[in-house]
Amino acid sequence: MRRKAIRTFKSSRTKRTGKSPSRPSARSRSSGLDHIDMLVATTAQALGISLDPSWREAIAINLRLILHHAKLVDEFPLADDFKPAPVFYA
Amino acid sequence: MLDALAPDDRTWTKASHLAAEVTAGGISALELVEATLVRIRARDPLLNSFTALTEERAHNRARALDEARASGKPLGPLAGVPFAVKNLFDIAGLPTIAGSKINREKEPAPRDAAVIERLEHAGAVLVGALNMGEYAYDFTGENIHDGPSHNPHDLKRMTGGSSGGCGGAVAGGLVPLALGSDTNGSIRVPSSCCGIFGLKPTYGRLSRARSFPFVASLDHVGPMARSVEDLALAYDAMQGFDPDDPACVNRAAQPVTPLLARGAAGLRIAVAGGYFKGRSAEVVQAIDRVAVALSVNRDIEIPQAERARSAAFLITASEGASLHLDRLRHRAKDYDPAVRDRLIAGAMAPASLVVKAHKFRRWYRDEMLKLFSDVDVILAPATPCTAPLIGQQTFKFGDQELPVRANLGIYTQPISFIGLPVVAVPVPLSPLPLAIQIVAAPWREDIALRVAYALEANGVATAPRPMM
Repeated sequence: MRRKAIRTFKSSRTKRTGKSPSRPSARSRSSGLDHIDMLVATTAQALGISLDPSWREAIAINLRLILHHAKLVDEFPLADDFKPAPVFYA
Repeated sequence: MLDALAPDDRTWTKASHLAAEVTAGGISALELVEATLVRIRARDPLLNSFTALTEERAHNRARALDEARASGKPLGPLAGVPFAVKNLFDIAGLPTIAGSKINREKEPAPRDAAVIERLEHAGAVLVGALNMGEYAYDFTGENIHDGPSHNPHDLKRMTGGSSGGCGGAVAGGLVPLALGSDTNGSIRVPSSCCGIFGLKPTYGRLSRARSFPFVASLDHVGPMARSVEDLALAYDAMQGFDPDDPACVNRAAQPVTPLLARGAAGLRIAVAGGYFKGRSAEVVQAIDRVAVALSVNRDIEIPQAERARSAAFLITASEGASLHLDRLRHRAKDYDPAVRDRLIAGAMAPASLVVKAHKFRRWYRDEMLKLFSDVDVILAPATPCTAPLIGQQTFKFGDQELPVRANLGIYTQPISFIGLPVVAVPVPLSPLPLAIQIVAAPWREDIALRVAYALEANGVATAPRPMM
């Protein structure tokens, strides 16, 4: 279950178009939910946030957008010893 | 539309001129404050820029200034200048609502924000608190609880946000000076949409003490005004170390007002290309006007600007969510749904990638510092379009259609991400203005303000007075 989620996450990212990532087509036949929908539901539960069902689609859209930006960051290679500044100084 | 004005009123008078008049006794501080409050009461129903007026306090403060003058005491460089602040700054005696419903239940703040104290120490007079996007997670100036701020140049249009009330109040002539905050563009975006000047100083320069945070890693505060000199006067008054803000850097104040007249001569200036290249006629027109006025014929590529914007987006989502996590657990229904859904999604951002974004931030900062060994100033658009209509969901960006709320700051985010000082200067295009960012190296607000001053002096950058 976990490996599948990770693999789907990687393959569902869009190219660097600047557009919001589109909704992945692969969905669970039984539930009608895709991996992002499930991530929203399970993470909300883990964080103790009660979700009204009507919020879930918009949250999932926003999470996809965040993951789209996160992927751009993730793709950039930085050496192990390149450290973030603990207190940023311009 | 706004009501007609007598040509000799002080609606459009600069803060520096008002201070000179009060100091010279041409008008009392009390008369000036009262005229300002009358104007706000008359016009703000159209602009919706204020959420609170501090009338009694302003009267008391003005009387104290007039008494000080009568007894021969110095009044300060902002003597009697009325100003207002985004409602995320603490005002003693008022709850700091930060554009939210939830914070209205907070106890009244016991003390003013540090920057309010400093402006009042310089003689300015606080007259009220200003509308803003909920919890500053906004580029539109819309607010579901207080209603949208309206753009004085076209009341159907957005002010931009999240310091939307600041943009409307200054551009609409209600006050000559306002304080905003800027995490990803929230001073520069409304400055662009409303056609005023805005300064986002270097990260760590001005104290954020006693202001409601959004993303501590990226939050800045700064002035918005209708002239560069007014920005400089306010900025100089607010400089100085403050141990109450952990990010405030212990540096000596570096007054910029005396340096403005040096202008842009001798500075190496380039236009940001690539990611920042204009994709609309108005952006191209604005950047060309500024570049021609400064005799700039050089482009420069900011490396990985798109990725920098993504890293800022990710840090914002995660840190903003962390700040609100407990409220999201217990009060989620009391948020603006558009803000709530973004914040909840941000709580789900992978921490491992947020840490990577911080690592990338340092890399990007190092690369930008290399650029600044070769140039003194970089020019870039502040917004990808002029003010959208209130309620407009998307705008055209080249051949793409992008959501307004998340993308009006597409050009501002890669700059504030590493805390560079920026002055947004308004170019008075027709029918609506659009600002250009004057970006300088860290701690060189003086250079950015000098260039802005030169552009204002030759008329290329000016705060257009709304049609009456």
